[in-house]
Amino acid sequence: MAVTSDYVLPCGRDVEEVWEAIDLSDEHMRSCPHCAAVRESLLVLRAATDELVREEVEPPFDLVSRVMAAVRADVRRSDVVPLPGDGLARISTRAVAAVLRYAADGVDGVRARACRVEEAPESTVSDPVIEVELSIAITAGLVTHQAYDEVRRRVLAAASARIGVRLARLDLVVADVLEG
Amino acid sequence: MGVAEAAALDDATLVARSRDGDMRAYEQLVRRYQGPMYRLALRIVGSRGDAEDAVQDVFLTAWRRLGQLNDDGAFLGWLYRTTTNQCLNVLRKRKPHADTELDEQESAEPRTRPERAVEVNAQLDALQAALRGLTPEQRACWVLREVHGRSYEEIAEAIGATQQSVRGRLARARAQLAEVMAPWR
Repeated sequence: MAVTSDYVLPCGRDVEEVWEAIDLSDEHMRSCPHCAAVRESLLVLRAATDELVREEVEPPFDLVSRVMAAVRADVRRSDVVPLPGDGLARISTRAVAAVLRYAADGVDGVRARACRVEEAPESTVSDPVIEVELSIAITAGLVTHQAYDEVRRRVLAAASARIGVRLARLDLVVADVLEG
Repeated sequence: MGVAEAAALDDATLVARSRDGDMRAYEQLVRRYQGPMYRLALRIVGSRGDAEDAVQDVFLTAWRRLGQLNDDGAFLGWLYRTTTNQCLNVLRKRKPHADTELDEQESAEPRTRPERAVEVNAQLDALQAALRGLTPEQRACWVLREVHGRSYEEIAEAIGATQQSVRGRLARARAQLAEVMAPWR
């Protein structure tokens, strides 16, 4: 398909038309000096382009490791946390959250809602540590003073006994109060 | 899984595994495509440092957004798009005066070139200088089409324009570049 460019030759054809017909020059192309000159320039361009395609500019040798370090750091921050051991086993924060919510649900009058799990800064491969923010809804008539301590105790126990990670910090947020 | 075995896996398989959090699968993808993405970035932004940063950002962004990729086999096209976008953003943010520094940087760079005639090297230098004279969008269109062989459809998506406008930009780029190459005909 021809595209009208701003580069119209005195003979009326434009550069793009010459390019498209570069290997099948017609009667006009053979006799027109303007087209012939442009065709020659385009042939030089084509040859230089081939050289550019062949040019072997390699990325720096450590680019892959830098990318993967950034990916691993990102993963640490977001989706998964390590399990104790050789550092190869990981658990998704969603799975951790599900276990912790279930533990909190066991307390009368408490319903776990959002549970955000993050790897703690002090966490290491041999000693994985997490930080958790758990928001709960409580039912006014059912909840006693000790309920929060009980939630805390159960969530901490679930983290270490059911997952195997240490819970360094648990922020409990009462997000809603339901009528009993 | 051995390296040889992993290297033979197709993109779609590696993408599916990466999405499940398999970082070794993703590393294979990075290894496979860092070269073409780096060369594309270098040709669009013109400096090694910016090209490296752009490619690193692209692969990190791609990892985070794997969940949004509907067709696992379309990973490469998606990479081309993301890299082009990233490079055009870098150029938009760059201060106007940085262009002159860029020329010096580029010509001072060591190049791995196959042995060839002095004239061919001179033509290649002229072409690269001429590329810097194009607008970023023209340059991106021309490099994607002529050096990386991408389709008009892909290029249009990559620079956020219609295919018609991509063809127009390519035509202008080609005419400008041919003019610069005229002394060698």
